[in-house]
Amino acid sequence: MSSMASYVGAPVVRRDAFEKATGTANYASDLFPDGFLWVSVLRSRYPHALIKGIDARRARSHPGVVAVLTHEDVPVNRFGVFAKDRPVLCDDKVRYIGDPVALVAAETREAALEAVKLIDVDYEPLPAVTDPIAALRADSPRVHESGNICRQTSLRFGDVEEAFARADIVVEGTYTTGTQIHAFLETEAGISYLDEKGRIVVVAGGQSPHRDRAEIAHALNVPAEQVRVITPYVGGAFGGKDDVTVQIHLALVTAKTGRPARLVLSREESMISGTKRHPAIIKMRTAASRDGRLLANEVEIIYDTGAYAALGPAVLDVAIENCNGPYRVSSARIDAYLVYTNNMVASAFRGFGAPQVMFAMERQVDRIARRIGIDPIELRMINAIRKGDIYVFGNKMEGSVGIYECLKVAMDHPIWRDRRKDGTLEYPWLRRGVGVAAGMKGYTIGALPDRGSVSVELKRDGSVVVGGSFTEIGQGVVESVAQLAAELLKVPVERVQVLFADTERSPDTSVTSASRQLFLAGNALRKAVVALTERVKDLVELETGGRPTSVTFTEKGVLVNSNEVMPLNELAERLELRGFGRMVIGTYEVPKVEPIAGTLEIPHLFFMFGVTMAEVIVNVLTGTVTVPRVVAVIDAGRVINPINFTGQIEGAVVQGLGYALIEEAKIVGGYLQTKDLSTYLIPSSKDAPTIEVIPVETFEEEGPFGAKGIGEVGILSVAPAIVNAVAEACGVEPTSIPLTPEKLYWLLKEGGLVDRLRGNEGRIG
Amino acid sequence: MIKPTTMSRRIEKEFRFFLNGKAMTVRAPPCHTLLEILRYELRMTGTKEGCARGDCGECTVLLNGEPVHSCLTVMTQVEGKNVTTIEGIDPEHRLVRSFVEAGAVQCGHCTPGLIISSYALLLKRPRPTEEEVKEAIRGNLCRCTGYSKIVKAVLSAAGV
Ligand code: FES
Ligand code: FES
Repeated sequence: MSSMASYVGAPVVRRDAFEKATGTANYASDLFPDGFLWVSVLRSRYPHALIKGIDARRARSHPGVVAVLTHEDVPVNRFGVFAKDRPVLCDDKVRYIGDPVALVAAETREAALEAVKLIDVDYEPLPAVTDPIAALRADSPRVHESGNICRQTSLRFGDVEEAFARADIVVEGTYTTGTQIHAFLETEAGISYLDEKGRIVVVAGGQSPHRDRAEIAHALNVPAEQVRVITPYVGGAFGGKDDVTVQIHLALVTAKTGRPARLVLSREESMISGTKRHPAIIKMRTAASRDGRLLANEVEIIYDTGAYAALGPAVLDVAIENCNGPYRVSSARIDAYLVYTNNMVASAFRGFGAPQVMFAMERQVDRIARRIGIDPIELRMINAIRKGDIYVFGNKMEGSVGIYECLKVAMDHPIWRDRRKDGTLEYPWLRRGVGVAAGMKGYTIGALPDRGSVSVELKRDGSVVVGGSFTEIGQGVVESVAQLAAELLKVPVERVQVLFADTERSPDTSVTSASRQLFLAGNALRKAVVALTERVKDLVELETGGRPTSVTFTEKGVLVNSNEVMPLNELAERLELRGFGRMVIGTYEVPKVEPIAGTLEIPHLFFMFGVTMAEVIVNVLTGTVTVPRVVAVIDAGRVINPINFTGQIEGAVVQGLGYALIEEAKIVGGYLQTKDLSTYLIPSSKDAPTIEVIPVETFEEEGPFGAKGIGEVGILSVAPAIVNAVAEACGVEPTSIPLTPEKLYWLLKEGGLVDRLRGNEGRIG
Repeated sequence: MIKPTTMSRRIEKEFRFFLNGKAMTVRAPPCHTLLEILRYELRMTGTKEGCARGDCGECTVLLNGEPVHSCLTVMTQVEGKNVTTIEGIDPEHRLVRSFVEAGAVQCGHCTPGLIISSYALLLKRPRPTEEEVKEAIRGNLCRCTGYSKIVKAVLSAAGV
């Protein structure tokens, strides 16, 4: 990497890859502080029950046990970002089977695991409600005192009645989507200890160190300054570590015992207690004209948030905002419910509420195309929104909008052009089809305040340290931030050190979610560089009496007034000498608009878009679907690092494939039946398709170097593309994902396809 | 009332084996798994734990050259054998380099297990086909990458 002006867009190799590949990188689960206690969590036995009493005497006297903690030990026993509705340790009742009831801290792993079984909890089981529609009925068991509606909102835009009255085509459907489990490979993990100043330090896998710190401090009823949170490399998160997991429990053990502690969830515990993607029921009625214009959408959205709100209220907003797809739908009526049940807690998961509605809407659009007899991509192009359009909520699309360009690329791609050509398949019971779907989602946190800071420090050797609280959850943000810094300051990327995710040492760059960490950090970094330029001017002014008119960073150092070049090491020395300090902080606030009535964060200003095309082969006799090929066309803004970019999209596509076809969390009466990775299957190397990722590089003016969010966009339209392909291949209209072989088989049988083939078999035989 | 079992009553045995070429002796209950010994006793954390029940492949090590799930391998099976973990793979090895360069490492938690499985494959099949690579790593789950870059990395390490 010698040409310095080329870091942005260059396939720079990630700095963390080597230590990860050689096993020397430390994750939270790899830490064993001296003299630590093993922590074990007792979780609820029932999906819904009153706690009449907890007797921990047997556990406390078990050899090796140092402490058994219950709700009585928690200073403020409710946490949660949107609603403080979640107990640190359950007191009055348990609301799902993963609910934590008590903690054991012991000298050995065996003692901790054994003692958990010696805690006697007197439960009075209550009827559980596990169906969100049942939960909405007046006579339903109540998960919370306040009732089962966590959030409800109704929105109307334009004249829906009039649009339906003049529509030529109305398509109606009820779609259901499943509970997806993050299944990150490193389970929720952390350690804690007291530092030399007596502060509680928690080192844990997470996504938002400053927010986690606030949650810990709140629960422990101590000032935030008493708590330090460090997030080392995280073995996958995808939103599943956006909420607090082990952090408060660890801090509590250390606060009560004064000892270091370690808590790493077992896979089963992770599956049961961790948050999930909201299962959804979506009813849609969509009106269109004969010439293919989408006129109106009537939508009812029911998301099951399980026992607690978690980030559900915001997830519901994303569902609402994106349920009309990237289209010029002129009127919409949306009724949305976020419902408490005694199921596992649902919260953030890559796509944050959008994949569910995208599945529904993109199925609708495909059905409309079939009804009209128009190419599904053409139909989408007719309706695609453009930059500057007024979207259905009345908001102007001011950021880059590349959906039309994506669709154009998709239309010309051989997978689409030749989709009906290769007709020959090995067996008569195999059917091939190619499907398409579009996706959109806002990035940044919309109308909610969204602000972040990044620090830049010049070292005396001329190298640079960039600090921020962004977390490295696998997405490569650390390298991307380093690339941006290298580009802005014109230093070799190896000379940029990145200090991340430590509340003590890195400024608050807000949460790592909503695909906008690079956007936020990159912009804060730009501000920091501006601050640094000002500081150089101050320095020169102090030294020479005249304020320079221009200061620019060049490969040789900082160029003052286009004559004096000061190498960075010299600049650092002089800043230090004159008492200016070698560190600057840049703060960026995402521009935002007023939220529309009835919403929290609608509208966003910035959106990401993409189109997925999937080829499927369906075995009609078994209902199994294989996906040999996927093409993802992504409006990526400017791509900062092409390896990271394609990696993000490929990973998202395969997660989307799992969501579409195989990932089925079976929950019966509130009990999870699929508690391990042999019953809850995620795609393996054998399931993964050949993936072609095509970036459509629009330019996001507000983004750093034109970049936009890319973390979630890859998953948005995968499931509908796959299911649309199945519909194309077999002439059935599936409405439910995961589309398991069982579900599809019965659908094919209903459609008569199985029997027709069976009848044929004799002749083929 | 159930009488609790205590630590002091656990039966321990001495096991001798070779770990990355070095002779080792550990005392442990015979039912302890190799993974527990590696991570909890020896604190060699390069070998990861993803499920502790044979489903994810993160804990893959070589036992006399064969890839095994160390979470399903009890210490009695290890007695007298050669164990190779990620710490025993040369950091300069072409597999490490190709994983790093191909972008096959995201969160990286699956990577050590994948490198071990691929290493075992290349011992047997120095020039594998794409299908053979996919087959060899089918038991190694990765939630981040979608596998494309992993398969490419193994093929490129093999010079295919
Ligand atoms: S930890 Fe051994 S297979 Fe998952
Ligand atoms: S890189 Fe994260 S699981 Fe493979």
